[in-house]
Formats: sequence, C-alpha cells, structure tokens
Amino acid sequence: MEFLTKVADLGGPLLLGAVTTVMITLSALAVAMVLGLALALVRLLGFRVLNGLIGTYIEVFRNTPVLAQLFIIYFSLPYIGMKIDPFTAAVIGLGLNGGAILCEVFRSGLNAIHHGQREASLAVGMTPWMSLRFIILPQTWRITLPPLGNYAIALLKDTAIVSAIAAPEIMFYARNLVTSTFETTFIYILAALLYFCLSFPLARLVERFERQQRAWL
Amino acid sequence: MIEEVQGFLQVYVENWPDWGPQIYAAIWVTIQLTAASFALAIAIGLLLALGKLSPIRLVRAFCTGYIEIARGVPVLAILFLLYFGLVPLGIVFDAFTASVIGLGMGAAGYIAEVFRAGIQAIHKGQREAALAVGMTPAMTFRHIILPQAFRIILPPLLNMMIILLKDTSICSLISTEELMLRAKDLAMMSFLPMHLFLLAGVIYFFLAWPLSLATRRVERWMQRGRRQTFGV
Repeated sequence: MEFLTKVADLGGPLLLGAVTTVMITLSALAVAMVLGLALALVRLLGFRVLNGLIGTYIEVFRNTPVLAQLFIIYFSLPYIGMKIDPFTAAVIGLGLNGGAILCEVFRSGLNAIHHGQREASLAVGMTPWMSLRFIILPQTWRITLPPLGNYAIALLKDTAIVSAIAAPEIMFYARNLVTSTFETTFIYILAALLYFCLSFPLARLVERFERQQRAWL
Repeated sequence: MIEEVQGFLQVYVENWPDWGPQIYAAIWVTIQLTAASFALAIAIGLLLALGKLSPIRLVRAFCTGYIEIARGVPVLAILFLLYFGLVPLGIVFDAFTASVIGLGMGAAGYIAEVFRAGIQAIHKGQREAALAVGMTPAMTFRHIILPQAFRIILPPLLNMMIILLKDTSICSLISTEELMLRAKDLAMMSFLPMHLFLLAGVIYFFLAWPLSLATRRVERWMQRGRRQTFGV
C-alpha cells in the first residue's frame, strides 16, 4: 500500500511531464514532416543551387548532435537578439533535425514510385499537381509509413535531451523530484518505465505497418 | 558584414591559446567514449542476437525483452539511472564508466537487431551445406555464416557508430568531461555561448562526416557486389 502511494505521489508530476513530452514530440514531428516533404519535393525539381543548399542542410544536421543544435538555438540566439522559450526552442531544434532525416526518407519513398505512374497519370490528362496529389503521394505514403514510425520513436526518445534546456518534460520533472525527495533510484526507474510505455505501443504499430507492407509487395 | 564576420572569427584567434588545449583533450575523450561504447555494444549485441536465435525459450525471451527495453528507453534515462539512480544502492560509477556502459547497453539493442537480420539473411542452404560437409556448428558460424553476414551488417554498424558519436554529447549531462561539457563550461566562463557551441557543432561535424561518407561508399560498394552475384 505504501508502495502504491509512493508511485502515485511521484508518478503524478512525471505524468505531467509526459504530457509535455508528447506535445513536443507531436509538434516536432509535424514540423519535421512538413519540412522533410517540402524539401524532398523541391529536390525533385532539379535546380542545382537549391539541391546543393538542401544537401548541405541535410549533411550538417545529420552529422551534428541534437544537443549541440539545441544549445546553439537556445543559448546562442539570445546573443544576437532573439529570445525564445525552451518549448519553442525544443520544437524548432528537433523539427529542423527531423526535417533532414525525413527529407531522405521521403526522397527514397518518392524514388521508389515507378516513373510510369506519373507518365500514365499525365497521359490521361491529369495536371502535374493532380498526379502528385492523387497518384504519387498516396503510394509514397504507404512506403514511408514504417520509417516514419521509426523516426517518431527516435524523436520521442530524443525529447529527453531537451530537459537540458529546461523544457518541462519527463526527465526535467524527474530531476526536480530527485532534488526534493531523494528517491533517486525509484524516480529514474519510473521515468524510464514511462518512456517505455510511450514508445512500446509505437514500436508495435510500426511492426504492424511493416507486416502490412510485406503483404502489399 | 565582412567586418562582423572578421570580428566573430577574431574571438577564436584571441582565445585559442586558452581554449585549444582544453578542446583537444575533450575531443580525445569523445573519441575514446565512442570507441569504448561501440566495442561494448558490439559484444553485447552479438550475444543478444545469438540469444534471440537460440533454441532455448527462456534465453530467447530474455534477449527479446532486453532488446525491446533498450530500444524503448532514451539514452539519457539510462545514463541518469546508472549514474545517479544506483548510488543509493551502493553502486557508484565514475561518469566516464557510466557513460560507456549506458551508451553501450542502449546501442546493443539496435546492434542485436542488425546482427540478427544479417544472420537470418543468409540462406539456410549455406548452413545445411556446411554441416553436410562435416563442419561443426561453431565452424559453420565462424567460417560460413559470419563472413557473409558481415557484408550485410557493415553499413548499419557504421551508421550506429555515427549515432553513438553524436550521442556521446548527451553524456555531458552526467558531467562526463567530453566535448559538449567542455564547450558549455567555456561558454559560461567566457560569456561567448554562440562561439563555443558553434565550434562544438563544427568539430562534431568533422568527426561524423568522414564516417558518413565512408558508410555511403561501403553501401555502394556492397550493392555493386550484389548486382554481380545475381547477374542483374
């Protein structure tokens, strides 16, 4: 019984943190998806300069730690006169990072569609936009769903890092609780468990997408 | 504009005698941390992969459970648990050891799946043929399965190494004396966060980028080999 009250006492604040964790994850996922898809589509246009710029963006963000990106955004931007709160900084940082990853995911998804699909849709009188909207993207979506899910899991786990810039998510609450209650072992196990409970269903979902995909192919 | 950039760079020139040695030492720690945790992850990962393919049910269940948990919990949570969370139980690691164990144990979950996929990708006829010509199961694994699986496994392994290199930055949060912590400390002392975090970012980039290029080259090289094998 004592154990249960302890779980309730310490779990409450952590659950509050979990709400922020989920919100950061969803916001950053939205930013990353829009950015990634937009850049992947721009890349298809084949402008050399633009492709070079996008390529550089991807290389830079994929080869540096998220933590460094967050620190630059959160601690360095005030230095040139832009102040942002931790939540926004976290969403921008993780979103930009994810944009680079998802751009590659969408690109390989778009490349996987046979070019005959596009030619056929143009031949039956669809505009290029209609062809993209009704023929190419729905098929790309099916292909990119599993890697997209895997990215969402990675993102969920990466949100733990944003506690370093004081965004009030699970790890941030866990650290605060530790300093006030000294229940170190218990709290960190609880926090790890909470992350697991969030990511495990996602992992099962991704597994299902993958199985379905194998059935289509 | 040009003057501003010059002024920005001038700061580095002025401070380099002070920053330089500290940054070099921190880069070395980052490299050691990456290498040590990668080695640990490969060792545990291989054991887990073999365990997951084992005929004994209990071993299989344990390995599956480990992999699921390692892949579902953030590195930071593992590190905090190891470094702070075990102290009340009397288990005390120094920051570097905790970082190696934490990163290694986390990455092992991914590497186990990479190994398993690689081993399972080898056609079972290879194994049967090896056993048929009188090889022991251990010899079959060592001389037939592993060399072939290695080619499939190599690119994702290199990828994992890049991820580990980037994840070592997280260890700064449990006060491991690596690049990110050094940059943060220097930033606080000099009030030049922009300069130091950009510097750290650039250094990480030039550590990780060659690895990325190598990974891509290995990937292409293996695809070429494969195309020849199937004559497509």
